[in-house]
Amino acid sequence: MVAFRSTETSGRTTGLLLRCVLYSLLALALIIVDKRYDHLGKIRRVLSIVAYPVQIAVASPFEGWDWFRESVTTRDALRADKAKLEGQLRLAQFRLQRFEALEAESQRLRALRDSTAGVTDRFVIGNVMDVDLDAFRERVLIDKGAQDGVFVGQAVLDAGGVFGQVARVGQLTAEVILVSDATHAIPVQINRNGLRTIAVGTGDMGRLKLPYLPTSADVIAGDLLVTSGLGGGFPAGYPVGTVADVKRDPAQSLADVDVKPAAALDRSRELMFVWLKPQPVAPASLTTPAKTPSPPGSPTTSTHGGPLQAPGPAQARSARETAKPATTTTPAGANDQ
Amino acid sequence: MMRDNRIRRLPMALSALVALALAVLPLPTVLEALRPDFLVLVVFYWSIESPRAGGLTLAFMAGLALDIIQGVVLGQHALALTLLAGWATHLRLRLRVFSILSQILTIFALLTGYQFVLFWVDGATGNPVTTFGRWLAPVIGALLWPVVVGVLSRLHER
Repeated sequence: MVAFRSTETSGRTTGLLLRCVLYSLLALALIIVDKRYDHLGKIRRVLSIVAYPVQIAVASPFEGWDWFRESVTTRDALRADKAKLEGQLRLAQFRLQRFEALEAESQRLRALRDSTAGVTDRFVIGNVMDVDLDAFRERVLIDKGAQDGVFVGQAVLDAGGVFGQVARVGQLTAEVILVSDATHAIPVQINRNGLRTIAVGTGDMGRLKLPYLPTSADVIAGDLLVTSGLGGGFPAGYPVGTVADVKRDPAQSLADVDVKPAAALDRSRELMFVWLKPQPVAPASLTTPAKTPSPPGSPTTSTHGGPLQAPGPAQARSARETAKPATTTTPAGANDQ
Repeated sequence: MMRDNRIRRLPMALSALVALALAVLPLPTVLEALRPDFLVLVVFYWSIESPRAGGLTLAFMAGLALDIIQGVVLGQHALALTLLAGWATHLRLRLRVFSILSQILTIFALLTGYQFVLFWVDGATGNPVTTFGRWLAPVIGALLWPVVVGVLSRLHER
């Protein structure tokens, strides 16, 4: 069975070593150029078009099967689905009732402070392609690319919350790195008290970590984490996850906090690409302590995140009150100017 | 000779394309880490079978395709595949007369070398993957070697 049918009996391949070295050097040069300089972005974008047919060929049978399964569902199943979706829509509408008023209020307050940082401008929906990229990195391929205006570093959301960000853009496709990737970190804020920290991926789709919280930090299981909007990459106020477990070892200075991501990282098929409103160059940004404008951001964040997660206006108000001590620090910062 | 080469290149490119598709075929998460490097096996087969038809060129191109499709540093898989395909070509006369078991062991060594180059480039470019899982792929790949040879030699025969 295992037999080679080669006719090349003479064992000579001319210049094997030479060609091997040449190709290896070429590959090494590619690695260095790709890593050190950004010149290969365009080449890669064009080459990704060549890869597109393979990706389509792999993904299409699965999509076809999905389509087939959808098109042969029974009437009863469809009716059940419809009833469920109507229920969800009703619930969502209840929750949205106050959203517009609150958003307008938030905009007014932000305008007072000359800051529109982290306000979302527009969305584009993209679909996850049925292609496995790498078993050891949490990444997915999306059927939107540079020609749809997608850019590297763009925030990506799903129906539950923050999904990840764009890591690489092709002409027709984009690679999204999930918040759970071991190399991903996202600035977050605890919705209850406005405490800011960074959520880091673990490589496990069901778990994030908060590695930089001291043991004395006010964090309890069940706390909602929302994006803080700091760093400018992500819009503020979108849910990232809920604290699942807090371990405090008195011998350690940092607490061990596990977070369950809000987005359905392993199930979502439709993702939202977010464009932030261009940030006006506010005079505040000229001052060196770039973080001074951020504490007042917490009240607006909680009102903004409130209707989405529906903790109710009362809770949003309490969040605003708890954030007040932080707000009082701003006049001091303002005096510095 | 020219005609000979032309006949050989079609199954070469075809099998490489199929292997490339297999490399990104969606699998359940549990099986994902066990996915053997089909494309590497195919490249090894052709470097052993007919090195003069351009085994190294195929290796380089296939590696580049893997880099693009998996979205890693450009040149990573190309480097690993070129080096190991070169080695496989060097070993080909011995490999052809080896028993199946010896072939499997040699291929295992080659696949491990391949993973090691990938591992090294991962580390050198600053995003190391240190999970144990990646060292499982060579085992599965080596065990699949007789199947790959069987299928490809049949394709080759036509």
